Amino acid sequence: MRFWIVTIRHACRNMLLTWKAQGMTLFTVSLSVLIFSFFYLVYINALHVGEKLGDDLRLVVYLDEEPAPPLQEEYRRRILKFDQVDRIEFIGQEQAYKRFEQILGKNSDVLAGVPIDFLPASIEVYPVRTLDSLARIKRFSDYLQTMPGVIKVQYGKEWIERFYAFIQLMRIITLLSGSLLIMTTTFMVAHTIRLTLFARQQELELLRLVGATNNYIRTPFLLEGALQGGIGACCGLGALLLLYNWISLQFAGPPTTMSLPTFAFFEWPVVVAIIGLATLLCIVGSFSAIRRFLHL
Amino acid sequence: MNLECSPPATMIDLIKVSKIYPPDVQAISDISLTVTKKEIVFLTGVSGAGKTTLLRLISRMEKPTKGMVDVAGMDVIKLPERDIHLLRRKVGMAYQDFKLLPERTVADNIAIALEVVYCPRSVIEKRIRELLEQLDLVRKYNTRTGDLSRGEQQRVSIARAVANYPEIILADEPTGNLDAETTARVMALFTQLNHKGATLLIATHDRSLFQDTPHRIIELRSGRILSQSEARENDSDDLFETAPSLLEEIEP
Repeated sequence: MRFWIVTIRHACRNMLLTWKAQGMTLFTVSLSVLIFSFFYLVYINALHVGEKLGDDLRLVVYLDEEPAPPLQEEYRRRILKFDQVDRIEFIGQEQAYKRFEQILGKNSDVLAGVPIDFLPASIEVYPVRTLDSLARIKRFSDYLQTMPGVIKVQYGKEWIERFYAFIQLMRIITLLSGSLLIMTTTFMVAHTIRLTLFARQQELELLRLVGATNNYIRTPFLLEGALQGGIGACCGLGALLLLYNWISLQFAGPPTTMSLPTFAFFEWPVVVAIIGLATLLCIVGSFSAIRRFLHL
Repeated sequence: MNLECSPPATMIDLIKVSKIYPPDVQAISDISLTVTKKEIVFLTGVSGAGKTTLLRLISRMEKPTKGMVDVAGMDVIKLPERDIHLLRRKVGMAYQDFKLLPERTVADNIAIALEVVYCPRSVIEKRIRELLEQLDLVRKYNTRTGDLSRGEQQRVSIARAVANYPEIILADEPTGNLDAETTARVMALFTQLNHKGATLLIATHDRSLFQDTPHRIIELRSGRILSQSEARENDSDDLFETAPSLLEEIEP
């Protein structure tokens, strides 16, 4: 207990001694956490959006003629051998006509005089609901196109490709901002600790001479790093929460207007993980500075 | 337990110790020296004789070039870096250059030695006041050490060295900047600590400190022991003949 009282007192003294550098470090850590967590938030929300949209995703394989049951079985066998496929459904020409009629609703009278078999038969392929299936969907579509009797394979190709490109971009930006977080926090904290070490060089030398243990000398600096990481991460996430609330307010309104129904803030475990990660990185920065300049 | 019957425990044991500073400055040459528990030894000699180096070797501020240094049962040379605190807590050293933190108060400077052994705040306060009273510095309690005279700084350095009752006290020119009365106070403090069991090694130029002393005097010259007087067993064990009245004043 006494050890921690002394350690906290020393850490506070260190931070007061170099308060300007501490302020800069805190600001940098906060900004890094804000940048990283902003992109990470966008990324995981985009993933959620992708999953939700994936529920409605299907490939429609148009056939030149309605397949007989043995041919249907052959199609089923060849399509279901792919792990990515959840289920398939055969839509006959008559069923297709009825669906179209339903879609037209009150305007279905436009179909008067149109033969019931004017729409081609098709197979609806429902892929497994993962984002990775989106990436493979083009290849799968190409494969389906090669099957006999297939006229055309249709899916939201452009939309899926754009969305997938967006997800990929967000993944890269999140990774880059994560690297930025790692570099800035460790570098800035190491730099600040180094300043503190220089400011207290005389005292540290004296502490060794009067019998201080390595832990007695080292722990206040590690605590200082941990505080910088923890407080910086809390500030960064706090700023992101404010930004999130502000954006939510801007887009809030009646359901008919544009809104962000699926956009959510981080769950508590993610918040704790980000704070923990920033704290850990700052401790690492602090530890490296101690090892390098204090030779402990 | 009858301590008088048991053989004197060796506190400091130096065997054929040499220290060469780069490139080839021979500070200490083949010195062998044994100091027993509760003994007081004066180290004297001209500047550059090797007094300070000897004290620095004992406190492991330096490692010898060759020889063996054993302090309070620890092989100082083989002592790993992470365990040096064990030695330093047993050895209190008053440095010639004081090694004070000029921006911190007198109390803070003394407290450092007690804080590292996790003394409670109340004990630290009490010990600091006690030492400052003995060294006539009470009114300087909250003064920054940078604002003190050299004599006052020297006393703060001594107070810090003895604050946690070390088993061995190494004093490097402890009275170099002090007047006669203050010197007497310092020596009275040393005597008191010696009565409580401390072993003292005092490096000094000041011949008045060890004139007529019953304790051992070692004279160094060019890093070697030039002469060594034996302690006189039946003499008074007062360290400083003019200090008894002060000793009575400060001893409980």
